[in-house]
Amino acid sequence: MTSPLVEIRGLEKRFDLSGSLLEQITFKNGRFQRKQEAVHAINGVDLQVQKGEALCVVGESGCGKSTVARTVMGLLSPSAGEVHYGGSRIDNLKGRDVLPYRRKMQMIFQNPYASLNPRMTIQQTLEEPIHFHRPELARSEVREKVQEVMQSVGIDPDWGSRFGHEFSGGQRQRIAIARALAVDPEFIVADEPISALDVSIQAQVLNLLMEAQETRNLTYLFITHDLAVVEHFGTRVAVMYLGRVCELADTKTLFAEPRHPYTQALLSAIPKLEDDRPNYIRLQGEVPTPVNLPSGCVFHGRCPYANERCRQEIPQLIATDGGAQVACHAVEEGRL
Amino acid sequence: MENNTPLLEVKDLDVRFAVRGGDLTALRGISFSLDKGERLGLVGESGAGKSVAAFSILNLIARPGYIAGGQILFEGRDLAAMSERELRKIRGNRIAMIFQDPMMTLNPVLSIGTQMVEAIKAHRRISTKAARDIAVGKLRKVQIPSPEKRLDQYPHELSGGMRQRVIIAIALLLDPEIIVADEPTTALDVTIQAEIMALLLDLCEQENVALMLITHDLGVVSQVTQRMLVMYSGRIIEQGPTREIINDAQHPYTQGLINALPQMGEPGARLFQIPGSMPSLKNVPTGCPFHPRCDFATDQCRQTMPEYVRSGNVDVACYEVSNLIEQEKNMQEAGS
Amino acid sequence: MTTATLSRWDRFRESFLWYSFKRDKVAIASFVVLVLMLLAAIFAPLLAPTNPYDLAQINIMNSELPPIGMQGADSAFPLGTDAQGRDMLSTILYGTRVSLLIGFGAVVLQAALGILFGLLAGYLGGRVDSILMRIADVQLSFSTLMVAIIVGAVFKASFGNLMFGEIAIYMLIFIIGVAEWPQIARTVRASVLAEKKKEYVDAAKVMGFRTNRIMFRHILPNTLSPIFVIATVQIANAIISEAALSFLGLGMPETQPSLGSLIKSGFDYIQSGSWWITLIPGLVLVVLVLVINLLGDWLRDVMNPRLYKG
Repeated sequence: MTSPLVEIRGLEKRFDLSGSLLEQITFKNGRFQRKQEAVHAINGVDLQVQKGEALCVVGESGCGKSTVARTVMGLLSPSAGEVHYGGSRIDNLKGRDVLPYRRKMQMIFQNPYASLNPRMTIQQTLEEPIHFHRPELARSEVREKVQEVMQSVGIDPDWGSRFGHEFSGGQRQRIAIARALAVDPEFIVADEPISALDVSIQAQVLNLLMEAQETRNLTYLFITHDLAVVEHFGTRVAVMYLGRVCELADTKTLFAEPRHPYTQALLSAIPKLEDDRPNYIRLQGEVPTPVNLPSGCVFHGRCPYANERCRQEIPQLIATDGGAQVACHAVEEGRL
Repeated sequence: MENNTPLLEVKDLDVRFAVRGGDLTALRGISFSLDKGERLGLVGESGAGKSVAAFSILNLIARPGYIAGGQILFEGRDLAAMSERELRKIRGNRIAMIFQDPMMTLNPVLSIGTQMVEAIKAHRRISTKAARDIAVGKLRKVQIPSPEKRLDQYPHELSGGMRQRVIIAIALLLDPEIIVADEPTTALDVTIQAEIMALLLDLCEQENVALMLITHDLGVVSQVTQRMLVMYSGRIIEQGPTREIINDAQHPYTQGLINALPQMGEPGARLFQIPGSMPSLKNVPTGCPFHPRCDFATDQCRQTMPEYVRSGNVDVACYEVSNLIEQEKNMQEAGS
Repeated sequence: MTTATLSRWDRFRESFLWYSFKRDKVAIASFVVLVLMLLAAIFAPLLAPTNPYDLAQINIMNSELPPIGMQGADSAFPLGTDAQGRDMLSTILYGTRVSLLIGFGAVVLQAALGILFGLLAGYLGGRVDSILMRIADVQLSFSTLMVAIIVGAVFKASFGNLMFGEIAIYMLIFIIGVAEWPQIARTVRASVLAEKKKEYVDAAKVMGFRTNRIMFRHILPNTLSPIFVIATVQIANAIISEAALSFLGLGMPETQPSLGSLIKSGFDYIQSGSWWITLIPGLVLVVLVLVINLLGDWLRDVMNPRLYKG
């Protein structure tokens, strides 16, 4: 197996809730106590993204999928763990050392209404990154490059002097994609890039992303809550729950034979066109808060197969015969 | 269609918005009916006017919008011509509404119980004790655990799914004839969405309540509703039995909408896409509003808005469809 | 969207700003009055019949002449003269000029300080934010007048009256500018906090742009609307502050009068019947501040996005 393009090792991210030292001190039972609370957004995630693939990270809100994306891109610094790109560690780089990776790694955001600077024209928005990363290019070359990238995402280059708000949501998302492509990246993190768009526009943008992948030989880390999109788009899928990966498999394998009880429930909950009634696996209870994580398997409180071991011991990702990696004691023991 | 007068009948409804530079037509010639206990889906992308349609049924269009023509007959009485006082007796009482954002219904500074009791007492002269009993009963009905305790809780103490359940309980408080649900699960995760939709469906069946479900999710519509309307640019372009439309859509837009879904595509292949995007209300094209995006558009489509034709049990507004029906008829005549 | 590009002027003419301005009679009237006063102030040396700073043109024999229409008026002095025989029209034109200069100057200084500190506090957050905002709090807990009185007294004592007259205008700009920057800094900080959560800022970070570039090129232009509104109101406030200081004798000297010092100089003569020396500059001051505030209110209504976008 070749070495992965992007590798995440033992990633953890906590967001401190308790504020400054003064705010942490509470008075309880006649004693002063220091109380620290944190949101445990990611709790030990290992992922490898192979060159040329689209690795999809799926999960419901609060599972930490966006935090993974932002940590990989360096928008957040990890509380523990490492991020490697092309074999070298990048999460601890500072200042100028990061710049080469900024060109190679780009990001597409969820909300096309907020991801374009409202005071900049499209031309300015697209020229700025090229100027910045390739100062050696002449003005005319930059312009040419902008034209080319606008054409490749299906935006008329004559519209360059317009502002973002003059475009529809789908067009804005195309422009945001053009901005990411303008610096010729190898790797793109797409954080829910289609969930704010209408159905007919979603298909357009997904097609555009797939086209860009083929023509530019891109690698994707694709974050989404929509499993139907994953089946279509992903090479491999990582299903996350409460900051942990519970199943990691080839898309085909995962959809043909989901192993983890949570993956099964998630898959069953997609409203399908052929159904005449909601037809889904019912889970008990609700997602616990990431402030006080459950002991053992984070899913045990809602899992129909949970036993004593699940409540005590944290399951690790283990390869199964089907090719999937599943973090579940029941699967490991053959109970499921 | 058992008895001849439907519970709710909307006839030729026009809704306009007065803005600078003239009026915008948000709904044009909307006609549909809803029988007792029937579940109707209202499908469309953002800007199609589906929320405006929902609001206008309760005559809740806020300025600068106004009902410019048509009738909304509820049990034979025209809501569009009713005084605000009479409308208040119907809203929340006979016709209840569920919004996408639970916080539009729930007041954050009042306890759940206070709000529920208030809602009951606004329409019925009963004691607080009796009203609380009704509230507890409804909370139990939406499967909220320990409902007596929940009455004293505040909205922020509940999870998103629980809040939406409370909203449904509030909608059911006065045993309405119709529930209008505007994207009730869009803000929720898929597993919670499945639970809420199943609950809503069960309740409507048990209590024989009519449901008008506004959504962009065709999967949900196919699971929950019996009949559906497809809206585009303020018009209904197709309406009929849900199964019939989902399995064999007539209008090119509906076809495109269904085929654009990732679950319809071959994994890894390009998705079917409708070019362009929905026109804004400011510049709706002449003729059929879909013609600029339609593969079958002719000069006739560009000039005049097509009338409804019947194909099976489905009403469609499309010249291509009417031509096809015509051809079929001619073929049959020629054959016989 | 038929034409591919719109010129700046076309954009302006299609904007909501222009649309609501055309429909708001109060705003139009205020704007017209303000522009007239600005023009009058700018071209005071051309418009004024006499130069009140030129002692050679003043004749003490003309002192306390009433405005036209009253008994004893001289047609050479349409608004009468003050106690030193200076033409009131000329002194008011020059006084408005001084008042406006101080008002604008102080706000430019406020805005420079306020924008810089507000941006730093809002964007960097943490310790920088705490320190800057505590300084702002301390600053705001002193009244502007109190600071000005102390500083003014110190300046006056150390430079002497003559020298003070020359630097008074800069001193007033400095005092009012420095005393009021926290207002703008707070506004800027609040909008920076809102803007920096938006994804275009993340997109700029992902591009590898440096902090300065993100702050000034990407965030600052998006915080300008509220700054514009508050700056308008602050001009009016600065003019009032200056008038108050001058009235207390700590502002502009009588040789280079502002509207405030004109009001003060006439105040002593109200009892003797020469009311016009105080009343006319007083009216001018009220009108000036009123139209600026009315325009500020209108701007705030227009630029509040919730009113028209929601």
